[in-house]
Amino acid sequence: MEIKITDHEGVKIISLSGDIDMYTSPEVRKPLLRLIDQRVPVIMIDLTDVAYIDSSGIATFVEGLKGMMSYRGRLKFFGIPERVKEIFNFSKLDRVFDMYGSMEDALKS
Amino acid sequence: MKDEVVITVPSHPKYLSLVRAVTVMMGAQNKIDDTVIRQMEHAVDEACSNVIKHAYAGDQNKQIGVTLRISPEAFEVIIEDSGLKADVASLKGRGLDEIKPGGLGVHLIKRACDVVEFDEKKEKGNRLRLVKYLKVKHGDKDHGP
Repeated sequence: MEIKITDHEGVKIISLSGDIDMYTSPEVRKPLLRLIDQRVPVIMIDLTDVAYIDSSGIATFVEGLKGMMSYRGRLKFFGIPERVKEIFNFSKLDRVFDMYGSMEDALKS
Repeated sequence: MKDEVVITVPSHPKYLSLVRAVTVMMGAQNKIDDTVIRQMEHAVDEACSNVIKHAYAGDQNKQIGVTLRISPEAFEVIIEDSGLKADVASLKGRGLDEIKPGGLGVHLIKRACDVVEFDEKKEKGNRLRLVKYLKVKHGDKDHGP
């Protein structure tokens, strides 16, 4: 799992690559919760290079979403591969997650 | 004719990707439908994660046995451990409409499989049997039941 964090005019973008599973989701959780602790208003998750996500990865993002809702922050996802989107849809999280096709679309909204 | 592959992996989460890879390869080698393979990959991953979390309570030095069998009728995976007995009620999971962390894994297992059952005769540990029945392909005698 590779994790890259970039700043785009105050918006933090976490770019992930590889599989998100029980082994790697703690690596994702750590920087996400650190940014939430800092009350970063907008965090975007780039999933373009994520090949697989399991329930622990989903749990990590739900935890992040809940943490950000406490201060009205926004958690956005973009570049979601079909396989990952299918799991978001199956878990009915497509109704609560902000999902965009591209980084530009996510930044604009 | 049944093809069978048996692997044993340490109960460390870093081996989940290995178990997933073997599951996918087993399905692909036997020309199983891609959707079935992907769903079984999720089911096996979630079941092994549950073994690490619950049966072994996070102990990474135990063992998990995974037997994968493919016949013309079914894709079957047996997952065995020597840990704490599973609470069968835990097979319920959270309601899918509840937005909260956790409880999704069981749904991913049940979605993939026609049979999800613990072997109650196993005295120590757990033996979970996952079965996905395969559709009959018209005109393909090798795949018909």
